[in-house]
Amino acid sequence: MTSEPVLAVSSLVKRFGDVTAVDGVGFELMPGASLGIVGESGSGKTTTARILAGLDAPTSGTVLLDGEPVTGRSRRARLRRARLLQMIFQDPYGSFDPRQSIAASIAEPMRLHLPGTAADRRARVAELLDQVGLSERAGASLPRDLSGGQRQRAAIARALGIRPRVLVLDEAVAALDVSIQAQILTLLDGLRRDTGIAYVFVSHDLAVVRHITDTAVVMRHGRIVERGDTERILREPRHPYTRLLLDSIPVPGWDLDRVARDRRALDPSS
Amino acid sequence: MTVQDKKTAADTATRADALGIAGLGLAIGSGEDAVPLLDGVTVRVGRGETVGLVGESGSGKSLTARSALGMFPRGARATGSVTVGGVDVLAAGRAALRDLRRTRASMIFQDPRAAINPVRRVGDYLTEGLRARGVPSREAAATALDLLEQVGIRDPRGALRRHPHEFSGGMLQRVVIAGALSTGPELLLADEPTTALDVTTQAEVIGLLKGMQRTRGTGMLFVTHDLDLAAAICDRVYVMYAGRIVEEAAGTALFSAPAHPYTKALLEASPSVHGDRTEIRAIRGRPRSLAEAPSGCAFRDRCPLADDDCAVAVPAVRAHGTSAVACVRPEEVTR
Ligand SMILES: Nc1ncnc2c1ncn2[C@@H]1O[C@H](COP(=O)(O)OP(=O)(O)OP(=O)(O)O)[C@@H](O)[C@H]1O
Ligand SMILES: Nc1ncnc2c1ncn2[C@@H]1O[C@H](COP(=O)(O)OP(=O)(O)OP(=O)(O)O)[C@@H](O)[C@H]1O
Ligand code: SF4
Ligand SMILES: [Mg+2]
Ligand SMILES: [Mg+2]
Repeated sequence: MTSEPVLAVSSLVKRFGDVTAVDGVGFELMPGASLGIVGESGSGKTTTARILAGLDAPTSGTVLLDGEPVTGRSRRARLRRARLLQMIFQDPYGSFDPRQSIAASIAEPMRLHLPGTAADRRARVAELLDQVGLSERAGASLPRDLSGGQRQRAAIARALGIRPRVLVLDEAVAALDVSIQAQILTLLDGLRRDTGIAYVFVSHDLAVVRHITDTAVVMRHGRIVERGDTERILREPRHPYTRLLLDSIPVPGWDLDRVARDRRALDPSS
Repeated sequence: MTVQDKKTAADTATRADALGIAGLGLAIGSGEDAVPLLDGVTVRVGRGETVGLVGESGSGKSLTARSALGMFPRGARATGSVTVGGVDVLAAGRAALRDLRRTRASMIFQDPRAAINPVRRVGDYLTEGLRARGVPSREAAATALDLLEQVGIRDPRGALRRHPHEFSGGMLQRVVIAGALSTGPELLLADEPTTALDVTTQAEVIGLLKGMQRTRGTGMLFVTHDLDLAAAICDRVYVMYAGRIVEEAAGTALFSAPAHPYTKALLEASPSVHGDRTEIRAIRGRPRSLAEAPSGCAFRDRCPLADDDCAVAVPAVRAHGTSAVACVRPEEVTR
């Protein structure tokens, strides 16, 4: 058992022209842990996730994976990062080659990162399809012939193939129907229990974050305004923005006046 | 449904309701190749009432809501009856429908940007409905200003001259709400009006909608896939599955006493921020459209209580507790 964080982020800043999308974000993720990132639209969640996955370079700040910095866009640096950390998007459709079968797409990262023969990969793909609950027939299909939920399973299978230590999920269940969302969440729960993979789970849905994470950070305007155990944040929010977020969740007897009061407490000018 | 029944349903709706949909069926094409979309949909919205229509994607929520404005898919055939404030929608001609949309019923969609012409000023958008009814333009402008103020737009006078792209999604949805209410409709059809918004913005927009609706006595059909939201703001809720209504319940009863196995399954599949942390339970399979659904009860390939008798016929609607439910054994559904 290691007690070193598998992912350590510090003082992350990202500017797009005049816009500071991420402003001094830092957190640590232990092996097998699950961290939520919540916050309103434009608060910098996706930008943070993309930096972790190496899709954007930070303006400043560091990302350590397994204790080593993963900066640089050299082929070697990118491969090392991808080997340790994989990302899942809201709709993975765009990340699949439309002309290639799902099974071939799932095999692709293994071909890039791992030694082994085509036969080894075929065996591993079969195992992965089974693990995420997809049939062999679904594996032989093209991406467009799968439902949204099936595509999300396929994306998870592809990400798991090279046994990364961290999975970054950006609104990965947001577009799914409740019944399908529950299937994917249950799948993710099981995978973490069985493989010890760690999650960074980006979502605007606090109920989902409560289900899938142990700790969470709340972002607003690029900054982390609150952090802690997810349950603690939900039960005793400390920052006025977190309070607004919680009071905004519909519930029988919903007090909409309180939401308005929270808003005024947060932005006295409005 | 016989012609006689249909007439009676329409007459009753005339007097009391903002919206009366009775036994609505919808199919594209005819004969062997017909693709069924809706079957026997019955929905009532009383004046001033907020009624929810919930279900997963493809269940027929939007088709049902749009039927109130006589908006049907190309080539679709409708049966049953649809009445809005006394107007028989299925029998109405073009002019009558245009008049209906202009005066009696308004619709708000998920994406406010799709509802507003991007090159026109907000002021023109807000006054066109009024001017079309013969309201002088000076008076229409004053009304628009007043509405923008009511929906909480800062600097309403300046807003009249601005274009849609100058507003955030939440602010633009407020403008659309102002537009929808400008003609003083009896019925507001809100199709996932807050789905694209942040939770905090959603709460504000809902507060606004409910407030405006309450003071004006407008009936609202609120379409959403979010059970929590429906239960929180609706007097009554209809649950749809595969083109049919499977349960009708009071908003509060939906959670405490779901009567249909599908409603219960949805609740068990949804994580919650309230109360103790509980396990979620996934529903096997995936939601289906009416055309793909099994015969008899459409939910039977996913239902834990399914048995042979569920395949015999589409379950009739029966009263159970305070709900109406289309299931052969609602007494076995307990939370
Ligand atoms: N490529 C880019 N160029 C310019 N600005 C950008 C770019 N990407 C993001 N931004 C800006 O950075 C800020 C943060 O955006 P980001 O996508 O990280 O937010 P988010 O928290 O993921 O929001 P959402 O909940 O809407 O997905 C926003 O103001 C956004 O407009
Ligand atoms: N114009 C059309 N032509 C053919 N089929 C249609 C048309 N519009 C809708 N349908 C089908 O009818 C069914 C119900 O569609 P509807 O849009 O009412 O679903 P919904 O409940 O609003 O779903 P969502 O939550 O995704 O908005 C779907 O299976 C859909 O594919
Ligand atoms: S009729 Fe049968 S299959 Fe349908 S919901 Fe009731 S128990 Fe389930
Ligand atoms: Mg994002
Ligand atoms: Mg719809």
